[in-house]
Amino acid sequence: MESATVALGHHAEEHHGPPEANQSSRIDKQTLGILLFIVSEVMLFGAFFASYFFLRVVVSPAAWPPHPYELPVPVAGVNTAILVSSSFTVHYALESIRRGNREGMKLGLLLTWMLGATFLFIQINEYVHLGFSARDLSFGSIFYCLTGLHGAHVFVGLMLLSFATIRAFRGHFGPKAEDHLGVEVPGIYWHFVDVMWIIVYVTVYIL
Amino acid sequence: MKISEDAVFRWVLIVGVAGASVIALTLLTRPLVGALWGLVLVIAACVHGYRWVRDWRRRSR
Repeated sequence: MESATVALGHHAEEHHGPPEANQSSRIDKQTLGILLFIVSEVMLFGAFFASYFFLRVVVSPAAWPPHPYELPVPVAGVNTAILVSSSFTVHYALESIRRGNREGMKLGLLLTWMLGATFLFIQINEYVHLGFSARDLSFGSIFYCLTGLHGAHVFVGLMLLSFATIRAFRGHFGPKAEDHLGVEVPGIYWHFVDVMWIIVYVTVYIL
Repeated sequence: MKISEDAVFRWVLIVGVAGASVIALTLLTRPLVGALWGLVLVIAACVHGYRWVRDWRRRSR
């Protein structure tokens, strides 16, 4: 009886903790994680866009943006070009490390960070000079909500890029796929931020 | 299609070109025309996405 209890106790010790998580052989868990995160982010942006179109089409004032407010379309256009070009630089960084070119990766990441920071700086400067606040009509509220939500995502992307850049300068990452996930995952997130801005710019500033 | 940064970058290019076409059409004509073209593009993207998911599920069986 005593030996059975001891055996049972030993058995219980061997199987502590949750079972090991199942892992897909098609996609690594880091990439899957960022993709699921992006799917949830798409839904968040979707809710904001739904609010935007509801306010614009259903609650619509006669003019959009309502008089006397104006949006700085050319400045935002330049900002769009800056953000789109940062997607190319992050892609260049990844292509470089895939070929074993560490200097190219460092340059690409640094340029991406600088372009992202410039975008954010121009965005904040735009807020300062707009002449209306989030309290001014539903237009002001939804404008600041949509662009602010995107700005927050750019800030998070810059944080991720900062970690990747610091690691790159400290000699991390290698040409093998599993050795540069720390660049690939922020890269995917950065592309998502870029795609969302193109949609925000076209919807809010152009249409 | 393998999901990687390359694939996502391709989507940045596709969305960029689509956005540029909406901007060009809006500036050349009226915002309503641009909005309708944008709607057509969104519907086309949804159809493409649906077909891709359907084929992917068929392949993974």
